[in-house]
Amino acid sequence: MMISKRLPELQLLILCTIGCYIFLELFVASAALDGLFGFTGVDIIFISFLLSFFVAIISVIAGVGGGVIFTPLMLAFTSVDTLIIRSTGLVVAMFSGLVASGPFMRKGLADIKLVFLGALPILVGGFVGSMAAVSLSQHLGETGDSIVRIALGLLLAAIALVFIVGGASTEYPEHVERSKLATKLKLRHMYWEDTLQKPVKYTVHNVKIAVLLLFAVGFTGGFFGLGGGWAVVPVLNLVMSVPLKVSAATSGVLLAMGNSAAIWPYINVGALIGVVAAPWMLGQIIGGIVGAHVLSGIKAAFVRKLLIVMLFLTSLKLLSRGVEGLFNISIPFI
Amino acid sequence: MSKQKKPPIPISGVVYGEIIYWCTCVSALVVLFGTIKSFLEVDQTIPVDYLLNAVFEGRSVEAVWAGSVLQNSPDALTYLAILNSGEAITVAGIAFGVLSVGPAIFFSAAFMWRSHNEFFAVTALVSGAFAVIAPFVFFLL
Repeated sequence: MMISKRLPELQLLILCTIGCYIFLELFVASAALDGLFGFTGVDIIFISFLLSFFVAIISVIAGVGGGVIFTPLMLAFTSVDTLIIRSTGLVVAMFSGLVASGPFMRKGLADIKLVFLGALPILVGGFVGSMAAVSLSQHLGETGDSIVRIALGLLLAAIALVFIVGGASTEYPEHVERSKLATKLKLRHMYWEDTLQKPVKYTVHNVKIAVLLLFAVGFTGGFFGLGGGWAVVPVLNLVMSVPLKVSAATSGVLLAMGNSAAIWPYINVGALIGVVAAPWMLGQIIGGIVGAHVLSGIKAAFVRKLLIVMLFLTSLKLLSRGVEGLFNISIPFI
Repeated sequence: MSKQKKPPIPISGVVYGEIIYWCTCVSALVVLFGTIKSFLEVDQTIPVDYLLNAVFEGRSVEAVWAGSVLQNSPDALTYLAILNSGEAITVAGIAFGVLSVGPAIFFSAAFMWRSHNEFFAVTALVSGAFAVIAPFVFFLL
């Protein structure tokens, strides 16, 4: 594993993080938390970091943002306030993309013109979405939380379906006709395809529809704290006809940018608890880099199938918890 | 068979990526420092064990902060006022990473303009302005 030699800053970061957590575990007296099986605060921080590290690796292989895994699982299986989960979910979704922006741009995989084309709709959409989330929580309280769980449950089922039909994604989409707007904006580019050992040219299509879709993706990402990697890749690949590899890289950069505006309404109502979000952020940064560099050989198809099952099960749990909260009933067996 | 040449990589993209990458690494170190300080503080402004207990008990955001010394939910300005506390340093570290998007976009836009991509330079500037203004919109509404 030569990755740390190629990236000394990553080596430093891993050393500092591991050193910090070992120091805290050994030398800091932290009280056991109520109802958490005797785990102390430091234990919870360390466990969160490890979970985040693995979530980052899985999300990199599956080609989704970490928020898609983190937020639904936490909303379905813990009693932590939904605003706190969603703000942390945005951190999870954002930081692996932020740190991946450097390598993606250096390799010429992310298309900077597409990033700036989609930046404003996704920034504004994300911001409006998170303002709506904060407003809903302040006005509807517990009922709002139940509505969020039901809506997210339905959305997750839809995401799982997108993954199932995701086989329609094409590595190198081709179009016979040319888009006038894309030609006018000079939205054509070329990237070096390592597997083919040759440059691949592509042109972009359906610019207007894609801009509208990116606004919608930004909104759902900000509202649910999911990010939106699951949706941006299909928009770029299936709607705009961008090659899959460029779509995945551009999606990461674009989402990190979009979520940077969406996080602020959460910070300004105190929903971002630093000590809770910190290990998740660090795990995403380290796991994101490691996942992107080391695990490219692992079979993505298997991980995607696992993710589909997980999304369906989490969706079921979210729907049941939402219905239970909304109608004050108890659903057995779920 | 002739060897194919690698296409040039847009400098505006590289500038954007490098600024974000290094700022994220720095923000991670600040967050680590904040985490250690949170646990080591003797006279804690926001006791970390209380925060974790309250969060995992399932208390609402308002209830979490109502039980702390702050008594009200903090906003970005509150964190600036208590920047010597571990919790505030941690949030500031995350915010630094988030805010790095703004300058990265502006520098990238300048290179975009120089490479005669005026339309994208302008969209970048507008997006960058939005990313920088976003933290303050809350206070204006």
